Amino acid sequence: MSRAPSPHRLALDATALAEKARRLRRHVVRMVAPIGEGYAGQGLGAADILAALYFHEMAYDPDDPGWEGRDRFILSPAHYGVGLFAALAERGVMPVQELAQYGTDGSPMEIIASERLPGVEATCGSLGMGLSVGVGMGLSLRRHGSASRVYVLIGDGEMQEGSTWEAAMSAVNFGLSNLCAIVDVNDMQVDGATTSVMNMGDIAAKWRAFGWNTIALDGHDLDALLAAFVSARAHGAGPTVLVADTRPGRGVSALEGRKSHFAKLPPELAAQALAELEG
Amino acid sequence: MRAPVTIAKSGAVWRESTPIASKAYGRALLALAEADPRIVCLGADLTGPTETDLFRDRLPDRFFNLGVAEANLMCVASGMARTGDIPFVNTFGVFASRRSFDQVTLQIAYPRANVKLVGFMPGLTSPGGPTHQATDDVAMMRALPGMVVMEPACATHVAPMLAALVAHDGPAYMRIKRGDLPLLFTAETCPPIGKGQVVRRGRDGWILASGVMVTLALEAMEMLAEQGIEAGLVNLPTIKPLDVALVAELAGEGKPMLVAENHSVVGGLGSAVAEVIAESGHALPFGRLGVEDVFAEGAGAPFLFDKYGLSAGAIAGRFATLSARNRGMSPVP
Repeated sequence: MSRAPSPHRLALDATALAEKARRLRRHVVRMVAPIGEGYAGQGLGAADILAALYFHEMAYDPDDPGWEGRDRFILSPAHYGVGLFAALAERGVMPVQELAQYGTDGSPMEIIASERLPGVEATCGSLGMGLSVGVGMGLSLRRHGSASRVYVLIGDGEMQEGSTWEAAMSAVNFGLSNLCAIVDVNDMQVDGATTSVMNMGDIAAKWRAFGWNTIALDGHDLDALLAAFVSARAHGAGPTVLVADTRPGRGVSALEGRKSHFAKLPPELAAQALAELEG
Repeated sequence: MRAPVTIAKSGAVWRESTPIASKAYGRALLALAEADPRIVCLGADLTGPTETDLFRDRLPDRFFNLGVAEANLMCVASGMARTGDIPFVNTFGVFASRRSFDQVTLQIAYPRANVKLVGFMPGLTSPGGPTHQATDDVAMMRALPGMVVMEPACATHVAPMLAALVAHDGPAYMRIKRGDLPLLFTAETCPPIGKGQVVRRGRDGWILASGVMVTLALEAMEMLAEQGIEAGLVNLPTIKPLDVALVAELAGEGKPMLVAENHSVVGGLGSAVAEVIAESGHALPFGRLGVEDVFAEGAGAPFLFDKYGLSAGAIAGRFATLSARNRGMSPVP
């Protein structure tokens, strides 16, 4: 079911990943708390997916984030940067103490993640670009005979950008089996629930209709995520998408399920959240 | 009576006697790619019109047609550049700029991705009206930090310019007329990126131009000579980074200067030169000749160049006016 560990692939089991995800959530709360509000809901909601990628699935060298043989992860909604930075630090790209610089003036850990920080593969805060960049990387990697894979996290609200479907079409056209997209279906965008702002109906059906190997799962179920990554790697005919149902703010009872694009995180709530995430 | 049809396939706006070469871009790109395996060719359903059918047929494994989807096209190119390839992205200038500007800005310019954008049918060389006439592409591309902006005047300059772009590690935009290009200069005269080419010195001032306007400026100089006016000519194949030293030096002569461009007068070569002159402290009679602040229309290029004031005659007229102003005289009628 899971991958074998290698020097560049940690391949932690689901129990160890759950602990990593808990640590990522603590980092997210600590990073947003000094600002008092931010993308906490997204960072908490995607923690399990990020943990599964960086601590099990992806080949990565924290000492050399530009290592040619790495698997690539593209964060298309760069607003989730808080979660990515936590994962990069926890993986060892930088000391976790540096996370305190998140969002401060002059820091490369910008609120909307940019590639000023080593480990951020592309600057995608303008939505609808990340999957296309992933298609380009997938094409080049295949052309060069590389075994590296490309993972792209996209948001469900982001699927409203038409370019998402240009990318979806092209990945199938080119048969990119080294590409795996993960849609974070948290039913949340700036103006409210995605289903109320611009209801896209059956999301998995849309990806299937575009020809993707489509796996619907619970985005907090680590065993299911690992199994889906195995299935994605085994699928040689084209790209795979994980349609991952998640809850924004997952793990913090006061935030979980709250559809707030830029959530308030006052000191007392942050303290309560950290206590809850103590494990 | 029906007006004459001037939608010539070549879109030629120069004299019939002008020697030409066709598909200079397509041939040069293929030659470069055959010698450099990093080069890949991307397009969006415009393979024939962008002369990349030559590449497709010879190097099909390195040719990627993204279909009619320019937003994806630009980001895919970025992804490929980030993985070590040198993508040449071929489409019409309108689509390389307006259609996908956010993608070009954030996935190509911002990361300084090694992507070469090639935009065909600059300005009024397209008969397709505002949908196909790139009259504002230079203004947009010039605003992007780190973006090199070029336009060849001559078929023989295309190959050395492309070679220079491959040697330059970073993003670039080259606008180029499709099909036939005039043969004006030898390849050796092609200046490096960022430098201008002094084609001819002239007693009475300077015409600065790029792209097809260089050919028309040469014709204008002949017309001016018949009036006893001797204009010099500078070809500026690099619009950004502009040859600031050359422009400032010429401005220092204090003689009339006219910038001719196949583009809106807002934000293009004329604006770039005006900025240099304004900051140089030199005073001189100065004019920008291009598409005034209007949208044009669908018609043949010779008709459009005439109607929108880009013809050789228009260049000569504007220069004569500047020259007369310089001498405190009325222009020769």
